[in-house]
Parts: sequence; C-alpha cells; structure tokens
Amino acid sequence: MLATIRSSTLEGLDGARVAVEVHVTNGLPAFTIVGLPDASCREARDRVRAAIESSGLTWPMQRVTVNLAPGGVRKVGAGLDLAIALGILGATGQIPPEQLRDIAAVGELGLDGTVRPVRGILPLVDVFDEGRVLVGVADARVAVLGVGDRARPIRSLGDAVGALAKGLPWPDIDVSLDPAPPPSLEPDMADVRGQEGARRALTVAAAGGHHLLLVGPPGAGKTMLARRLPGLLPDLGPDAARRVTRVHSAAGLPLPATGLVRRPPFRAPHHSASMAALVGGGSGHARPGEVSVASEGVLFLDELGEFAPSVLDALRQPLEEGVVRIARSGGTREHPARVLLIAAMNPCPCGEGGTLNCRCNASSRSRYASRVSGPLLDRLDIMVHVERPSPLALLDREPGRCTAEVAADVAKVRRLAHERGVECNAELGREQLDRFAPLDEAAAGVLHAAISAGALSARGAMRARSVARTIADLDGGGAEIRACDIAGAIGMRARPPMGGDVVRIG
Amino acid sequence: MSASGEHAAALAALPGAGAARLGRLLAADDAGAAWDRVRAGRVGAEVAPASVRTEWRAAAAAVDLGAIGEVLRRAGVVATTWHDPAHPPRFVHDIDPAPIAFRCGRMPEASMPHVAVVGTRRASAIGKEIARDLGAGLADAGVVVVSGLALGIDAAAHHGALLAAATPPIAVVGSGCDVPYPKANASLWSQVAAAGAVLSEAPMGARPEAWRFPARNRLLVALADLVVVVESRATGGSLLTVDEAVRRGIDVMAVPGSLRNGAAAGANRLLADGCAPVLEAGDILAALGLDRCGAAARREVAVPRSAPGETAGRILEAIDDGPTSVDELVARAEVDAATVFAALTELELAGLITHDGARVRRC
Repeated sequence: MLATIRSSTLEGLDGARVAVEVHVTNGLPAFTIVGLPDASCREARDRVRAAIESSGLTWPMQRVTVNLAPGGVRKVGAGLDLAIALGILGATGQIPPEQLRDIAAVGELGLDGTVRPVRGILPLVDVFDEGRVLVGVADARVAVLGVGDRARPIRSLGDAVGALAKGLPWPDIDVSLDPAPPPSLEPDMADVRGQEGARRALTVAAAGGHHLLLVGPPGAGKTMLARRLPGLLPDLGPDAARRVTRVHSAAGLPLPATGLVRRPPFRAPHHSASMAALVGGGSGHARPGEVSVASEGVLFLDELGEFAPSVLDALRQPLEEGVVRIARSGGTREHPARVLLIAAMNPCPCGEGGTLNCRCNASSRSRYASRVSGPLLDRLDIMVHVERPSPLALLDREPGRCTAEVAADVAKVRRLAHERGVECNAELGREQLDRFAPLDEAAAGVLHAAISAGALSARGAMRARSVARTIADLDGGGAEIRACDIAGAIGMRARPPMGGDVVRIG
Repeated sequence: MSASGEHAAALAALPGAGAARLGRLLAADDAGAAWDRVRAGRVGAEVAPASVRTEWRAAAAAVDLGAIGEVLRRAGVVATTWHDPAHPPRFVHDIDPAPIAFRCGRMPEASMPHVAVVGTRRASAIGKEIARDLGAGLADAGVVVVSGLALGIDAAAHHGALLAAATPPIAVVGSGCDVPYPKANASLWSQVAAAGAVLSEAPMGARPEAWRFPARNRLLVALADLVVVVESRATGGSLLTVDEAVRRGIDVMAVPGSLRNGAAAGANRLLADGCAPVLEAGDILAALGLDRCGAAARREVAVPRSAPGETAGRILEAIDDGPTSVDELVARAEVDAATVFAALTELELAGLITHDGARVRRC
C-alpha cells in the first residue's frame, strides 16, 4: 500500500517542501530510505522503528520503501522522522491514508515515540500554505508564528495516531505567546563613567548605523562599551523581527518567550572564528554565519587585530551590500547581513601603543596594524581611542546619561532617516546625500580643506558627509550640514591605527 | 676614475681585507697599481701575512673587473680610495681611516657642519618624534645630519632632515651600498641617496653582518663635528658610538628622557656623566657656534597659521605638551565630546595640532 504526507527540510535559511512517500509491499522485511538523505536523516530508520513499536503500534514485517521527493534536494536533519513514521502507519492501514493527505508533519522522534524539537522550525513550517501542521510541543510556540492556528502540537506519535485514527481530540496545549516583553537585560550606558569620546561615538554609531572601531589599551573598557551598543538601538519592526527570528531558528539559537525576536541581536564571535563561522557556509548545506545571525543587530569583533586577515576581508562585501552570497556547487544562497559592526583592538601587540610603556618594536607594530586591511578600515566610519580611566575618576564622576535617554535620541535620528527612505543615515547613497545632506558654505570650506590637506579620500568624504548628517540630526541641526557637523564627523573618522613607523609626515 | 672605481671595489671584496690591511696596501699605490700587485702576487710582507696574500692572489685571479664595474654602474654607486679627490676627506684624516669607501648619491660640502644623530632602534614614539624634530631643525639651519639608517632614532632623524629638505643628509650604513637594511627602511634609504649620500665601507653585496656595525659607527663619528644621542638603552650600541666620539675628542650631547623610560636610560646616564643636554635643536646649533635666529625665522614663514576660534582656542590651551586624549580635553576644557571632535578638525586643518586618531598633540 502507498501513503503520502508532506514535510520539509532546510536549505540554507529557507525551508523546502518534501513529499514523503511510503510504499509497503510483500517480500523480505527491509526498510530503505531513498531521495538524497544525509546521515542524520538516514538514521531515521532506527528511530522510527523503535518509536512505532514503543507507541504500541505494529511494525510491518514487510518490505518498506520511503522516498523523499524531490529527489534532487539534499534532505538534512531528523525533522522528517515524524512524517516518515506517520507515512508508514498510513501505508499499513493503522491510520487511514486519506487522513494524511492534507496534513504536514515536522519533528524528530525519540525511541519512546516522543516528538522532539528541530532546528529551523520557523522556516520549515513557513512553506506550508494550507492544512494542519503537526509539530512537537517544544516547537509549538514558534510554529504558531509561522502557520497560526493550523499548528497542531503533539507530545508523541501516540497523540497523532489518536487524533487521526481514533477520532480523539487533538491534545490541548497552550501555545499562547508571552505578551509582555521581559525586562531588558542589556547593560546600561549609565555604568560608563567618563569616556566622553567613546560615549559620543557609540551614540553617533547607533543613531546613524555607522560602523565603529574602538582602539585602546587592555582594561580601557572597550568590551564594556561595545556591549552597551545594542541597548541604544530601537526595537525591531515586524518585518525585521520576522527575518531575524527565521535566521535564529535556522541557526538553532534559543528563541525568546515572546516568540519573535524583538530586540536587535548582539553577536560577539571569538577571534579564532573561521570564515565559514563568520560569513556562513561550511561543507554541505550552507549554515548562516555570525554576520547573518547578527543581521539587524550588532556584530562585535573584539581583538580585531587577532582575527585572520582573510576572514576579516571576507566581511567587506557583506558590509557593503547587506547580504552574504555563498556559492556552492548546488547553487548560490543569499543570507542577510545587515549588521552594525563594532570592532575593538589594541593599538599594538603589547597594548600600550604610543606611550612610554610600549614594548613593541616597529616591525611587530606594523605587522599588527597591517592585519586590518585598508579596505576594511575604509568601511569603518568612526574610530575613537579609549583611554584607561583612572580609578579615582571612576569614583568621582557622576554617572553619564542612561541608555533610555540616549536611545530616545537614537530613535529620533532613525525616524528622520526613515523619512528619507532609508533604515539609517549610513545607507544614504551619493545622490541621496546631495539631496538630504547639502553642505552650507562654511561646511563645504571645511570639507574642501580636509580633502586638499590629504586627510580624506573621495570615499572618505562621502562617509564623512553621512556621519555629518547623523551628527546634525542628533544635535538638532536643520536641513543643511553646518561646519561643526562636518568637522565633528572628520574628527571621528577612522585612520590607520599606528603605522609601522610612528614618524608621521606632516 | 671609473677604472679605479672597479679596482677599489675589487680590493674591498678580497677575503680578509680590513681597513688596516687595505690602508697598508694603498699606502703608496693607487687602486689600479695595488690591484696589479695583488694579481701578480707581489704584495709586500708588511701588508698581510703570507697565507692571506696567497688567498688574495687566488681570489683576484677569479675576479671579472668588467662585471664589478657593471654592478657599480647599475646600483649608481661610486667606489673611491683615499687617493681620489672624491673620497670623503674626513675618512682620510681619521685615527682609523677608511682607505676605500662606496658612495651612493652626492656628498654635501665637507666644510658644512656635520652632526651625527644616533639612538636606539627600539625607540619610544616620543623619542622618534624628538629625533625627527631635531633632524628637521638641524637641516633647516644648514647642518648635515649624519645617521645610520637603522630603525628607530636613526630613521626618524633622517626623516626629519628630509622633511626640512634644506641640507642634504648623509647615511653611513653597515651593509653593502646595494643591500638596503633593514628592509623597512628601503624607501627611506633611496630618499637619502637621492637627497644626499649613502656611504659604506663594505663591498657591494655585503650582508649586514653584526661585526660591520661597530666599524660603521666609527665612520659615522669620523664624519661628525658633534654627536647627539636621542634615546639609548643602558647597554645600547649608541654608547659604542659615544666611545668612538670620546676617542676622537668629539663633543657628545644627549637628550634627557624620563627616568621610567628604559629606552632613555643610556642617554640619561651620559647626562649624569657630564654631557651637555639637548632641549631643542637650537642647543646643538649653539654648541656648533651657529646663529640660530635665521633658522627660527625661516620656520615661522614655512607654516602659515590661522587663528583658531574661541572654543577651539580653549581646547588648544588644554592640550599640554604631551599627547592628549579626547577624554582629557573634555574634562579640561569643560566642553562636550561633540565639540571636541569638531574643534580638533578645525585645529588640525589650521596646522596647530596633529591627530593620529588616538591622541592629539601640538605641532
């Protein structure tokens, strides 16, 4: 007998529909799965057989063939277990096969028949436009985001058989989402004492979406500052929240109790990260990298100088275009990569660069500086030096403005950017800058002086203008960029941190 | 002259041919005659022991003078002996004279004052900046800056001299004139050769072996009227240069450094031992007996400065002599960070400060 049921598998960040066809016929007892299953999918044979027997159902002593169609798509993971088991029960008449026609099932089976959660449940259920979708209890809340009340959470294989074969009601499981967002765990800007330059840089970076580099000795608080950046960003809009949730689901990250990820993600990969870990890819099916997981949020690269230069340079294209294109023999995938990059590094290997305590010689310093390529540096609009604050100053100073106050300013600037048709000022192109960030006479003078002094490249001048737009928005400037705005932007622009020889011309 | 250049280069490349042996060999003969004697095996016993003379004869037989000439021409290097008028006169009249010298570029007038600026290779950022300023100040005042093209202080001093572009600098190097060392200074090397001269006693293609550097130091001192030590570690090679200066009765001056700065320990020790301190280029000029007003006046004209605005002026006042961070300026000038960033650009464009992205300092 033949039975068919729908399921899905992950392709990169998206689900792909899979028709699970089960054929049971007379012959020597055997169980084969065809249709490009990967190793974990092939192991379904043992899990499904055990799950059926321990649920008090009958395993057919016949020849069982499972075909996963379409045959050309690689099937990954254990999410097809539930569909295979239901298909076998349908083909052996333990469930009426017509009951399976309009349902889909996604879930991994335990040997005792329980249905376990799978990675990427949101993109997996998103492909089903109609019909009920059977998922495990643990996946239910997220599945509801995708298919609403068509989701049928079940605890075990037995629940499904009860409802489909015996006419019992579907188990009543609460899938309502936590409506109130949990209290924010993001650290507060008020904890930062002093560090006025870095505070300003964080504010401008968050407001305009400008990539930022913090340079300073160990213990200056670079990491502490970076962790306060996501708190300054506004909540994700509905579309962005859904995009982020899909990526996080596909990457197997825990999702919040509110279902959708509403706060901008913060990712801080260690500097030993490989290219596949950072931008995505890897052998076989292309996993999302850290830059995709951090999309719509903050990617923090601590110890920038310690990352492999090839890995860093792989970030150049995603930073420019907001997507990562991963080419595989099976085709090219696009993963989102709209991140706000914040990087931190020491001025030199010993960390004391430029002071009398520096123990580095010129060659090691130049080697360290050259690990961050010019083109990458060019994409960092803001660079500030962070000093180690004196312990006494930490005691004395009043706390600075708190995250909520700064975030309100940031939100104001972002609203202005929306009116210009972009997400943030950093996305303004050349024509948009001409239109939305015209320079008044004094500002044009400053920009020309900086360019003719060799302090700015053509690209640098454009980036400086977009930062100036953000500064003007923050400080209550009008439609025209003033001299102080553009001067402030040029004063914060990124420069090579410590050349090889400290002797500078000029 | 071109023929004797090849001969001189060939003589310098003989195995075991140091300055002393070459000096005895060239005591009476010019390079051509000396070379003929080496090839014919007619070198006197007073020049070198018999084993060395045999070795020279064998080595000379294998030498192709034409090829050596080609190497010199291609590298733009001239080899001279002390019989040549183009040979640096200060090499001849030294207590350890250099009978053969290789030169790339043109020597400045020997009558001009020469000052050797030396110091550690592992210099602090401030030390290098001081060396650069001194180099620029000296060149500006018409003093030939002599140094060794090493990393750190040497390179910084040359940089400064090139920046001023007023007087040609001289570099005395330990490797062959066609072997730039260290590689990081290769471009500086060619800039010095283009503006002034790169000198060496070592034959073409000679590697920068450690034993060549003390010999180089003596030539550096031989050229100088005065030696200035910018930063030197307690047991630094610069102190060997100072010893050479003391042997020749040449004055040594030193730049004081912080007691906590290990890179300045040697220079500070020199000061404690009675060296005259250098606080600015003018001190060196005064020691040389030069007028310092002319140089200062020319400097003033070179950098036009516009008056800063009121806020920027307040921030400029808050920048002390050392490098200052943005946070320090916020605290001292009592303005917010946004104002500081904008003012720094204004001050930098006005040429009043330098800003390396980390800290700012006054020009």
